[in-house]
Amino acid sequence: MSSRRERRRGRVESLRLVAAGVVGLFVFVLAWEALVRILDVRPFVLRAPSKIVPELLDEPRFFLDNTLTTGRHALVGILIALACALLIGAVLATSRFLEHASQPVLTLILVTPWVAYINSVVLWLGSGTPPILFMVAFVSFPAFTFATVAGLRSADTSARELLASVEASRWEVLWRLRLPSALPSLFTAARFNVGLGLAAAYFTEGGALSADGLGYAGSRAISFNNGNLLWAAILCTALLGVVGLTLVTLLERVLLRWHVSQR
Amino acid sequence: MTAVIRLEQVAKSFGDLDAVAPSDLEVGAGEVVTLLGPSGCGKTTLLRMVAGLEPPSSGSITVGATTPSRARETKMIGFVPQAPALLPWRTVEANARLLLDVNRRANPTCAPDHVELLREVGLGDFLHAHPHELSGGMQQRVALVRAFALGSSILLMDEPFASLDEITRADMRHLLGRLCEQTGASVLFVTHSIAESVFLSDRVVVLSQRPGRVIGTVPIDLSRPRLPAIEDDPRFFGHETQLRALLHEGAGRSEAAR
Repeated sequence: MSSRRERRRGRVESLRLVAAGVVGLFVFVLAWEALVRILDVRPFVLRAPSKIVPELLDEPRFFLDNTLTTGRHALVGILIALACALLIGAVLATSRFLEHASQPVLTLILVTPWVAYINSVVLWLGSGTPPILFMVAFVSFPAFTFATVAGLRSADTSARELLASVEASRWEVLWRLRLPSALPSLFTAARFNVGLGLAAAYFTEGGALSADGLGYAGSRAISFNNGNLLWAAILCTALLGVVGLTLVTLLERVLLRWHVSQR
Repeated sequence: MTAVIRLEQVAKSFGDLDAVAPSDLEVGAGEVVTLLGPSGCGKTTLLRMVAGLEPPSSGSITVGATTPSRARETKMIGFVPQAPALLPWRTVEANARLLLDVNRRANPTCAPDHVELLREVGLGDFLHAHPHELSGGMQQRVALVRAFALGSSILLMDEPFASLDEITRADMRHLLGRLCEQTGASVLFVTHSIAESVFLSDRVVVLSQRPGRVIGTVPIDLSRPRLPAIEDDPRFFGHETQLRALLHEGAGRSEAAR
């Protein structure tokens, strides 16, 4: 069967691509290690991987707990943003006026340097989890909203008329046609928001006087001049980002099997 | 014969642009009527008004003894758009079922089995395929089944084969002819293909260039059931010639009016 052979060839091809990624990463880590040693970089500027890994292995429980905490903060915040964006986006998509009225505000949220006002949010919402979730949700909200509006609008006109010809309700059109049409752009926004939401979680943890999370570990490392701890926290945050993007990609593979991008 | 679709002095203008000049049209029970005309003559606009997707600027439309919008609410109309408009995330089977999945309250008590219909049009092996795995002709066949699966007695078709190649088009009109004869539905079919109009119709209504105006009605007296071989019949050619002449005349007349 030619299709089976093709599939096998496809699998070999994707394995080779994964291998290429691993090789690239390996070369990068080696170069990093070599540069830090050859140029004798100061510990706080950049740590060699050979120093960071022992730091992680020294207190695996501590890093695992904090990574999970930060991961949970980012995930919950992003889900809140997604829920709000779907609700508000569905309303905005019904009227050009509302869409244009909201655009400047959403753009402002997107371009304002949010690290600058974290302390104000902490003052407002108190210490602990609330300001962290708020910041994550707040910064990832605009991208999701833009994606929702554009995606709902992208629904095929002929299909809309077809559903109108049997008097499908607004809700049925939304559920059966518009929402699936919005999935591709929502996934693009999700990719963008994984990095953004993680950064928001990290920085707000650092400023929210909460006693856990990688951001808290990082900010403590800075005040104690502990380069190993700082770089270990950074590495964990980066790994969280990789896990987040992988999850988004896997979900996309399942939900968007029908889409051009997945063929 | 009682009229299932009746248009009286129906006209449509978009702002200053007259798309359809006041026209009368009737489709009897079980009759297949084709609107034939050059592109941009307002035939699609006429069809959309009958489907209740567009209100007429003047005149009155009756569909199944009621208004187009009421006919829409009660799912009396099976609509086949110009593009297949299949939902890419639904399988062939689920796409064929789409119109039954919405506004369920108005579903007919005995609709034909959509899976059976898919088998009949040769898509039995593709029930679980997605639209992107199908050829253009196969996609349009799903779109036809989707309309027939409603079990409605009124079918409105807007140049459904316009984007297909000549050979596939011929297959599709033969298939559609068979389906129409089986169901005995009243059909209003829009096309700019003369062969399609002759093969499918009981009556062909020829429209002039914009603003669309009925310039002639040609009854097609070919016996039913119509088999593909009928396209080699001299009477078939005769009708084609007659319609072509009417179309030319319509083009010439509106040229002179300018």
